[in-house]
Amino acid sequence: MARHSVCKVHDVAVGALTEVKVGRSPIVLSRLPSGEIRAVGGRCPHQGAALRHGCVSGTTGADRPNELTYGCEGEILRCPWHGFEFSLRDGLPTTPDSEGLALRLRLYEVEVEGDEVVVVT
Amino acid sequence: MRVLDADVHESFGSIKDLAPYLPEPYRGWIASGAWRGFSQPFAYTSPGLGNRADVRSKDGSASVSDYGQMRDQLLDPYDLGHAVLTGYFYPTGLKLQYGLATALAAAYNDYVAEHWLAKDKRFIGSVQINARDPDAAAREIDRMAAHPQVRQVLLPVVDDIAYGHPQYRPIFEAANRNRLMVAFHHTTFAQGPYGMGLHYMERHALLPLAMMPQIISLICNGVFDAYPNLRFMVLEGGFSWLPHVMWRLDREYRQGRIEVPWIKKLPSQHCRERLRLSTQPTEDITGDQWMKLIDLMGTDDVLVFSTDYPHFDFDDPNAAIPRSLPETTREKILWRNGAEFYDLGDAPKSERPLEAAAE
Ligand code: FES
Repeated sequence: MARHSVCKVHDVAVGALTEVKVGRSPIVLSRLPSGEIRAVGGRCPHQGAALRHGCVSGTTGADRPNELTYGCEGEILRCPWHGFEFSLRDGLPTTPDSEGLALRLRLYEVEVEGDEVVVVT
Repeated sequence: MRVLDADVHESFGSIKDLAPYLPEPYRGWIASGAWRGFSQPFAYTSPGLGNRADVRSKDGSASVSDYGQMRDQLLDPYDLGHAVLTGYFYPTGLKLQYGLATALAAAYNDYVAEHWLAKDKRFIGSVQINARDPDAAAREIDRMAAHPQVRQVLLPVVDDIAYGHPQYRPIFEAANRNRLMVAFHHTTFAQGPYGMGLHYMERHALLPLAMMPQIISLICNGVFDAYPNLRFMVLEGGFSWLPHVMWRLDREYRQGRIEVPWIKKLPSQHCRERLRLSTQPTEDITGDQWMKLIDLMGTDDVLVFSTDYPHFDFDDPNAAIPRSLPETTREKILWRNGAEFYDLGDAPKSERPLEAAAE
């Protein structure tokens, strides 16, 4: 287990993505609306797009066709290339049963020490 | 091995046979020849003029109106456990005069009940409707669902209807409340993306391209999700395209779910669970290729045997599904997948308690 001080707390904002490097590996950080900081692998698990170019958003739901709801603002990361959606809460895709495709974000443990963000790898 | 044939085309001898089943004024119109029925907008090129050449209809059309002939050529010699009557007279082809079209569908249903279903317990019936008037179609479904041999609604694939459109919901509602399945069959009006082509061969090769959009439409517009008890059967529309359609839809869903979040399962999962494809016309592939295809589909639950009797591209129950397939898979294609789709158990439905929902 290695601990890496990667940036300052104020560098990580809700609705935004901050990329840091641990060794040569990119990691992107975002703050959930709850205040928690998330750190995820910086490459998309689909085809490897750099997630720092992605967008943090909410997502849609619907019980019936053409009646969209919207929620989870700040908790969804969409890949800049094909737009697959992942939850920043648990790293899982928003689509069900993605059997056969190892589609989930790699989550890293994050600790805050003073005004430093520490990522554990 | 037991055989269920999912696609058998019964007919009348002449459209005037429907007159006694029609209310006025339509009875008079049809009896007097005010409309002489659909005629296909092309010439058949097969030796039997659209039929197998050993099946002659009285009027020379591509049809069979004689139950005895069907029994002697199909039901008995192949010892079919069940044959699903799917018709080929689809009033939805009328783009005007909806009242007439709806009345014709009802008349045809009554004609088939009397002249076909009543004659043989092996028959499974389809409800014919005028899909252009979905509320009237729903009433016809409610009416015919009480018939113990009727197990499905037949939706004709024409040139301008994608059935996922919200306006057709009453049809699926009615099928669902009556516990009927939904089958799709092409028509003489069906088209590929750029029309019918310039040759019969072209038109016939394009038919699968009229079916794929129906599945895409149903899934994208939430019909699979809205009615978890409904199952869907594509008749005579090819089957080797299914892996592509499943994979493509899954990819589209992963990248575009945000627009269609009412889809709650991967499209491929919807297809494997509740879409069935009839096998005729089989493509002439080897047993190994059948198994590769089934492997790509991810299940051997999907394929359901059909002959398409009396049409020229008939598949023989003894020859069309290679004997080199594993016995269990061959049995699923020839019997079990269809029997499960129609919820037959081991007995003809006519001998089982009526299941149509009463509400
Ligand atoms: S690379 Fe991220 S969705 Fe394809």
